Amino acid sequence: MSLANRIEEIRCLCQYKLWNDLPSYGEDENVPQNIRRCYQLLDMTSRSFAVVIKELPNGIREAVMIFYLVLRGLDTVEDDMTLPLDKKLPILRDFYKTIEVEGWTFNESGPNEKDRQLLVEFDVVIKEYLNLSEGYRNVISNITKEMGDGMAYYASLAEKNDGFSVETIEDFNKYCHYVAGLVGIGLSRLFAQSKLEDPDLAHSQAISNSLGLFLQKVNIIRDYREDFDDNRHFWPREIWSKYTSSFGDLCLPDNSEKALECLSDMTANALTHATDALVYLSQLKTQEIFNFCAIPQVMAIATLAAVFRNPDVFQTNVKIRKGQAVQIILHSVNLKNVCDLFLRYTRDIHYKNTPKDPNFLKISIECGKIEQVSESLFPRRFREMYEKAYVSKLSEQKKGNGTQKAILNDEQKELYRKDLQKLGISILFVFFIILVCLAVIFYVFNIRIHWSDFKELNLF
Amino acid sequence: MPMNSVLVIGSGFLGGHIIRQLCERENLRIAAFDLFENEKLLHELHGQFTMYTGDLTKQGDIERVFEEFHPRVVIHTASPVHNLARDIYFEVNVDGTANIIKACQKFNVDALVYTSSAGVVFNGADLINVDESQPIPEVHMDAYNESKALAEKQVLEASSESLKTAALRVAGLFGPGDRQLVPGMLSVLKNGQTKFQLGDNLNLFDFTYIENAAYAHLLAMDNLLSSNPTANGQVFFITNGQVIYFWDFARAIWAHAGHVPPYIIKFPRPVGMLLATAAEWVCYFLKKEPGFTRFRVQFSCANRYFNIQKAEDVLKYHPIVDLEEGIRRTLAWMDTEKKH
Repeated sequence: MSLANRIEEIRCLCQYKLWNDLPSYGEDENVPQNIRRCYQLLDMTSRSFAVVIKELPNGIREAVMIFYLVLRGLDTVEDDMTLPLDKKLPILRDFYKTIEVEGWTFNESGPNEKDRQLLVEFDVVIKEYLNLSEGYRNVISNITKEMGDGMAYYASLAEKNDGFSVETIEDFNKYCHYVAGLVGIGLSRLFAQSKLEDPDLAHSQAISNSLGLFLQKVNIIRDYREDFDDNRHFWPREIWSKYTSSFGDLCLPDNSEKALECLSDMTANALTHATDALVYLSQLKTQEIFNFCAIPQVMAIATLAAVFRNPDVFQTNVKIRKGQAVQIILHSVNLKNVCDLFLRYTRDIHYKNTPKDPNFLKISIECGKIEQVSESLFPRRFREMYEKAYVSKLSEQKKGNGTQKAILNDEQKELYRKDLQKLGISILFVFFIILVCLAVIFYVFNIRIHWSDFKELNLF
Repeated sequence: MPMNSVLVIGSGFLGGHIIRQLCERENLRIAAFDLFENEKLLHELHGQFTMYTGDLTKQGDIERVFEEFHPRVVIHTASPVHNLARDIYFEVNVDGTANIIKACQKFNVDALVYTSSAGVVFNGADLINVDESQPIPEVHMDAYNESKALAEKQVLEASSESLKTAALRVAGLFGPGDRQLVPGMLSVLKNGQTKFQLGDNLNLFDFTYIENAAYAHLLAMDNLLSSNPTANGQVFFITNGQVIYFWDFARAIWAHAGHVPPYIIKFPRPVGMLLATAAEWVCYFLKKEPGFTRFRVQFSCANRYFNIQKAEDVLKYHPIVDLEEGIRRTLAWMDTEKKH
């Protein structure tokens, strides 16, 4: 379902956290039993999200964890196909009250419901929720109410229509707001409440919503095939009806060009949120919160670059390469790097753009906006200065850390060597892929340059 | 409220659109001043404005019009086109503007809006998201931009309590009535040159659809006439607020005209400069005007985009027609022109 879709995007984080020693709150004897169990539940429901939450600083980490677990509980109820609607709807709508009821648990989830254990032990989550400060509780409660109402509305719709489809772009934005925008808004309010970030963040509702919409729209584009197979049509009819008379026909080989044009229209729609992501990130002050927010946003635009004009979208889930994911995780630590990464993927989209696509200009303008906002937030002349300062700082660190290198134990050296090998193999693989792609492109498109083309230059 | 009187100097591409927008307002006396009578515009607008003719470079011609019409506002858009002799630019843009300023002061005009150019800050180097704090270069790209910069300086220096002035630096004007930008791109199409690209197409450009530029002039006029004229003595960049890759703009126009190049041959900028230099040398010896010049290469590979935050803040300017719609309207107008 929706939350799972977003988490899927971040799951690759786990596999490549090779250089970081993650805090293991789930096993730490100094952590109170109840909190420890919450961390274990977090690991059970989403290892990838658990990783990023554990990186958050004290004072905000537990609040975000509880926020996540509460919404996951809500989502687990919503996702459960064994529950009749008349039982499901009141639970969804009243969930914000339920989390105030100490000792509440739910044992009626279907036997195959993946996260049923969370609801069986939900009293643990509630206890920690009630231990949070009033400010945090208010945020979580308000968001839970809105999301519960939204989920109830869409659950009714899906039941009535035996499937789910989105009609207008406005409906699309509304759906994404309930599913993901509210998470963005809630997180911003939690950050503001923590005092680690500007209190004004709590009032940046439109931009916080936009961050959530960006992630959700990218996932919806990427998951076309999977959702279609489940009879869920998240792409708005207002968009796809311009290119086909039936949503499913986008998969057909005969419609491949129309399908790509439709995909471009969806991409242009998602790209409208990218500049909001950059502006939002430029406002953050705390390193761990910056990382927490930046990594998914950069993943999103990288995924968008991967899906844009990619016919595979209509046959399977398209994901970014694991190497890209590692790079994004390691590099998304400051505004300069994030701007550089956004520009890199924006230019990937730009280079794939073609004037035979009716959305050519729309895409180009959205790319131009990202370029201009990126330039406003981190002008390239600053980038050059930053690069020099960074290099000199790095060389100083190397001198200072020279003695420490000897202290690394054999096990760590072995791990380091393996990591380097993997990196080398990844690089070679990428080069190989590039060469193969170039060869295929030249062969398939039969590209040749004739001398007559130069005559047409009218040099004289 | 007294009826405002607006004199638009120059009734061509930009001036014509300003007059059209002024005619949509009520309680306004409108006049145009140009070298020749614009019969087409008079006919189109059913004589809703008065047409005066004369030579901008002659003080007497200017003062005769001011004496007869008594403008409260003057919008000065007149300018020679590109690629003319240096003398013409300085006579019209510098001396002509000086004549207008004198007349405004003599006849107690309240406001003067001058059409400057974003090119006044361009000397061949990149202009990356620059705003109005960007200095005017010592050495200009060409005589046109040098003369526009001098004229702009005159206008801003003439600013006072009694005569309020503003200059609008417009960038890359295109739209119905366009004789240079879009027709130039269509001639590339006609010559079968669309498959060539200079540079890597990562340089960004600002273009401005003409109706947005005209609208900005009306906003500037309104500000200067208001009780709190915050635009007085100020200069503003005016664009469409939608930067675009240089070659994407051309390709969008060609695509709307029904053409997509089958493939692209890319010349890196240094190669382009070499070829242009060679072409210029050959044309020099052949006593021929070169079509492929170093300026064109430089222009095609440069970033040239602007931060219009000041216009948004002070003038409350927002483009009313977006880039894609602007292209569509321009090409529709050109189709109409062909039929006549």
